[in-house]
Amino acid sequence: MSLIDALPSPSFKRRPWHPNVVLLCLSGAMLAAAWLLSFVSVAPNRIVSGTAFGMVDAISWPGAALVSLLFIAMAALSSVPTSRHYRAMLGIIILTLLLMPFGLMVAGHWLVDPSLPQARLGIGAAYWTVLFVLLLCLVELRLRLGLSRWWPTLLLAGVGIAWWGCAALWLDRLALVQEFQAREGQFYQAIGQHIALVGTAVGVSVVLGMLLAMLMRRYQRLQKIAFTLLNFLQTIPSLALFGLLLAPLAWLAANVPPLAALGVSGIGNAPALIALIAYSLLPMVRNTYIALEEVSAETLQAAKAMGMRTGQRFWQVRFPLALPVLLEGVRITAVQAIGLTAVAALIGAGGLGTFIFQGLGQAAMDMVLLGAMPILILALIVDAGLGALADALRPGGQE
Amino acid sequence: MIELSHVSKQFGDDIAVEDITLRIAKGKFCALVGTSGCGKSTTLRMINRLIEHSSGDIFLDGQAIEQYDPVKLRRRIGYVIQSTGLFPHWNVARNIGLVPRLLKWPATEINTRVEELMGVLGLPVGEFAHKYPHQLSGGQAQRVGVARALAADPDILLMDEPFGALDPITREKLQDELAKLQARLHKTIVFVTHDMDEALKLADHLVVMRDGRIVQQGTPLALLQQPADPFVESLLGGLERGLKQAALTRVKDHMTSLGPSWPAQSRIPADFSLRQALSMMLRDHCDRLTVVDQGDVPIGELSLRRIVKEAQLDKVSQRDA
Repeated sequence: MSLIDALPSPSFKRRPWHPNVVLLCLSGAMLAAAWLLSFVSVAPNRIVSGTAFGMVDAISWPGAALVSLLFIAMAALSSVPTSRHYRAMLGIIILTLLLMPFGLMVAGHWLVDPSLPQARLGIGAAYWTVLFVLLLCLVELRLRLGLSRWWPTLLLAGVGIAWWGCAALWLDRLALVQEFQAREGQFYQAIGQHIALVGTAVGVSVVLGMLLAMLMRRYQRLQKIAFTLLNFLQTIPSLALFGLLLAPLAWLAANVPPLAALGVSGIGNAPALIALIAYSLLPMVRNTYIALEEVSAETLQAAKAMGMRTGQRFWQVRFPLALPVLLEGVRITAVQAIGLTAVAALIGAGGLGTFIFQGLGQAAMDMVLLGAMPILILALIVDAGLGALADALRPGGQE
Repeated sequence: MIELSHVSKQFGDDIAVEDITLRIAKGKFCALVGTSGCGKSTTLRMINRLIEHSSGDIFLDGQAIEQYDPVKLRRRIGYVIQSTGLFPHWNVARNIGLVPRLLKWPATEINTRVEELMGVLGLPVGEFAHKYPHQLSGGQAQRVGVARALAADPDILLMDEPFGALDPITREKLQDELAKLQARLHKTIVFVTHDMDEALKLADHLVVMRDGRIVQQGTPLALLQQPADPFVESLLGGLERGLKQAALTRVKDHMTSLGPSWPAQSRIPADFSLRQALSMMLRDHCDRLTVVDQGDVPIGELSLRRIVKEAQLDKVSQRDA
């Protein structure tokens, strides 16, 4: 400390301005996006690309004023960052999220011609941008307020349910909702298939990954071979791997009747699962191996010196201490598998990818969204859930 | 009783420990001292078979340690290390109760024992039982480490630089408490340290090691009076040796009865060390102190001349012997 610092500071000195730059910029970005980007688009039918409308056209001046006010308030709050202000900002974010479907309702009422039954409302770039930036704000606020990972997840789940209600009751003009209503049964089936595929692939790779990691710890030579192989598998593009599996599986199904009876064939679930498991093994094995190896040698030596047997040392010391890192591996694997399963639709395995590829084929962007949105939400939920579980299992609750 | 007879340990081509012969009688405190890498920790770990010795024999209560099941052997030997080795995912009570749990004591007995030990080591149960190791200071964590080692009431305690990572004040406090504990419990303790003062303060039997061999062993006083070679002498502090020896001698062993002469102004309790007496003389510019008992009643006196002369006499008698 220098002499100057040690002197008492004069009382008339102004307090320096320390805004939360991140939130300030994000608030500004949202304000700009709301005014400058297209708010909604209106199309007379499914195939024609729509006409874009700005915020004032969509929700009129009072609506635009309300939106601007919310974002200006956020900017103002972020310029003096106290924990009370952070809490207020959290409130504004939730309010904005809840108001978003109402904006669409108003826009639909205003802009869509009721005499055209096929006419539909598309969500504009401003909406997506604001939604994305709001999520970024949530991440920042979670860190600043020191909330656990459960909080934003619960919050988003609540907001999601509110949106769902709005969509079911009043938003039948929204293109996304129309696409959904046209294939409701298919949609639920696809979600079910998607979750089943991901669940099976992750479940199998957790068990296989643990076994492999434990074998690798015992036989050091296996380690190099296994990692080389798994790394190689990871570099094959997913589509190519599905293609590569087509021929051998078709041959197996034709020549080994018991396998065919189990439902193995060149296309469908069997190649999809094999490929998903192959991709999942690397992150799973790597994290399990590292997690088990990382446990402090001194702690393990102490366990031995206290007279714990090999099995006791593994299950009572090494495994519980490795668990948080191991769960990180499950989290990475699961999130990766949720995305990859979308591609599996191409070989007839079903899942939400079906909508994406059908939509792409028909140039119906809203149908692509119908497939992509739930994948995104699923990934976020699994990511937050498993992340929070890993946090909760840290030894002695330490961060 | 622990007995090592011509014990050696090789790691590949490296000889870590060579031809060590050592006898530690029941209830004695033995300190292994030496610079780092001299094989003192290896020697310690061979006793509970964390490291298997290459040749020679190690006996525990007269039986070769190869004849024990290593797991059962370790459960009856307490072990304390510098980094404490506490399990970070268990709270204090669970850490302490580890060995009794492994020995399948009934739960109520384990609880009683854990609470008893926490009391002995100055860890209030209400405050500490449910804390996790990362919430403890270095000194508190090491107390838990010692409590864990004592949990199943082992006869033998192996301590590998237990206080090495602590600040000087905490270290001295824990040393004092260990000395008190040992006076009460009479465990057979093997204590590894590179801190000669710590060893001189605590040990009944001092073993100086260098390059895997024992250079000299004996009582602290014997080593101070006649170090075997310049290495031992430098470990013992060179010129400071006289003071270190004085630190091991009590005032009451050198005091004379109160003479007819004028009593000295400065007073010193009888159970203080000669080193403290010398320090007091230097501070107060005097060559005589009045020795008092615990109630501050004068019981004798101590003079500088006498201290110096008796030290000389010690030396002469040593040489004659």
